[in-house]
Amino acid sequence: METLKDKAAIVGVGYTPQGKVPGRTSLSFHLEAARNAISDAGLKIQDIDGLLVQPPMGDPSVTAALVAQYLGVRVRFLSALDAFGASAGCQAQFAAMAVAHGLANYVLCTYGENARSGVSEYGTALNGGQEYGLFGPAACYAIAARRAMHEFGTGPETWKEIAVAQRRWANLNPRATMYTRPMTYQDYYDARILVEPFRLLDICQISDSGRAFIITTAERTRNLKNRPVYIMGMGQDHPATNPQQATFLTGPTGAKLSGEQALKMAGIALKDIDACEIYDCFTYTVEVELMDYGFYGRGEGKDFLKAGRLGPGGDFPLNTSGGLLSEAYQMGFTPLTEAVVQLRGEAGDRQLGAPTGTREPEIILVSNNGGVMQTHSTLILRK
Amino acid sequence: MTSYNKPLPIINDDNRQYWEYCKKHELRMQKCDNCGYIRYPTGILCPRCHSMDAEWVKLSGRGKIYSFVVYRISYHPSYADDIPYVVAVIQLDEGPRMESNITGIKGEELKIDMPVEVCFDDVTDEVSLPKFKLVK
Repeated sequence: METLKDKAAIVGVGYTPQGKVPGRTSLSFHLEAARNAISDAGLKIQDIDGLLVQPPMGDPSVTAALVAQYLGVRVRFLSALDAFGASAGCQAQFAAMAVAHGLANYVLCTYGENARSGVSEYGTALNGGQEYGLFGPAACYAIAARRAMHEFGTGPETWKEIAVAQRRWANLNPRATMYTRPMTYQDYYDARILVEPFRLLDICQISDSGRAFIITTAERTRNLKNRPVYIMGMGQDHPATNPQQATFLTGPTGAKLSGEQALKMAGIALKDIDACEIYDCFTYTVEVELMDYGFYGRGEGKDFLKAGRLGPGGDFPLNTSGGLLSEAYQMGFTPLTEAVVQLRGEAGDRQLGAPTGTREPEIILVSNNGGVMQTHSTLILRK
Repeated sequence: MTSYNKPLPIINDDNRQYWEYCKKHELRMQKCDNCGYIRYPTGILCPRCHSMDAEWVKLSGRGKIYSFVVYRISYHPSYADDIPYVVAVIQLDEGPRMESNITGIKGEELKIDMPVEVCFDDVTDEVSLPKFKLVK
């Protein structure tokens, strides 16, 4: 069977101001990110003939058709697509299928939300349980993390390494909201506990911002200005189960099957991956995902995950923008767009390779995770 | 009882029966007539075999703590005076797991696998919440 390996490429990314950006609608972030992605790719508005939109959680009025309307695009491939935090990776996969089969030439994928200054859903009961005071995703993941402490002896000693390493990357990224704010191990331990066992620094930010990317066929990249970033492999696995019944809170999550499929399509092994951009809504999420991708065995995260190897200069670069924890929360778009920027060699002070004493990046693994580990998508991207 | 100001369960046509039993202080869940799977949350079909036939079996109300969290900040104004409070996932003896509160114990005293049993909290005239306490 012919696969989608190397058939599609990401040829444009678009950012917006991010962090605390009051006075803006969620729609405005979709539009600005889209405009910047089109400009980055060197395309004209009229070139865009596909649109996939991840609607903001706090504003269901932002539909795919509305984004198309305000962008002034007339497309022949359109949908809203929501797999929670796994959406960006899913959008990329649907877009790759569409362009590979001629249903569209250039598919624009957007997300945007004024979650910090506007309406936020992150304090509500998204999986039931409001009658017991079970509010916010942090608590749902903290339930998983506590169980992992019990089953394989992880905990703050491991999670602090992830938080500190990612902050070191953010301190090299002017776009990161935590750019000017270093973090020590002591800062981590001193952070207040919000939902035990999670401290503030185990928990990602809530951001106002938007982000977008554009996918086309490998053939069409020849006429475009940017170095294309090819999609070598892709996978999804969505366990979906209600979090209370879930058997995957301590792994294996969807990362396992999604990752195996993506690696198989790409025809590579884990050792061929030069860096990982892993969905990091919480520190523990990173630990369990990397475990399920197979980088270490069950419970071995505490030996594997050390800030020295995960941060700049390390042999296992992780979340090089600062990630959701220290750059900005843009759902799956944060890890995806960072991989593109790194593979294009445009990451400035945080650029993988000689500038940061790390391996030259040829292949980067991107993971997206959503719900309470109920959805998962994987992309393997290459130069 | 009219002064209860915390969020209540969202009762709809799919889960009303569950809450009616709770009002009678019975913890009942749907056991699939076809495959025997006891499901939670309440729903119109079995997620294992898709049979739509089920019996509302009465559970023992006993189980053990599967995991838990302690809220140190309030996410909702009606819980501000309850900080710190515990939300746990309970592994019921009959198989399903459910979220609830553990009453009568501080968070720092809780441990995974502690045995618990159900106790009902009549929070309004219409709603009784199944909560759990330690088995002495």
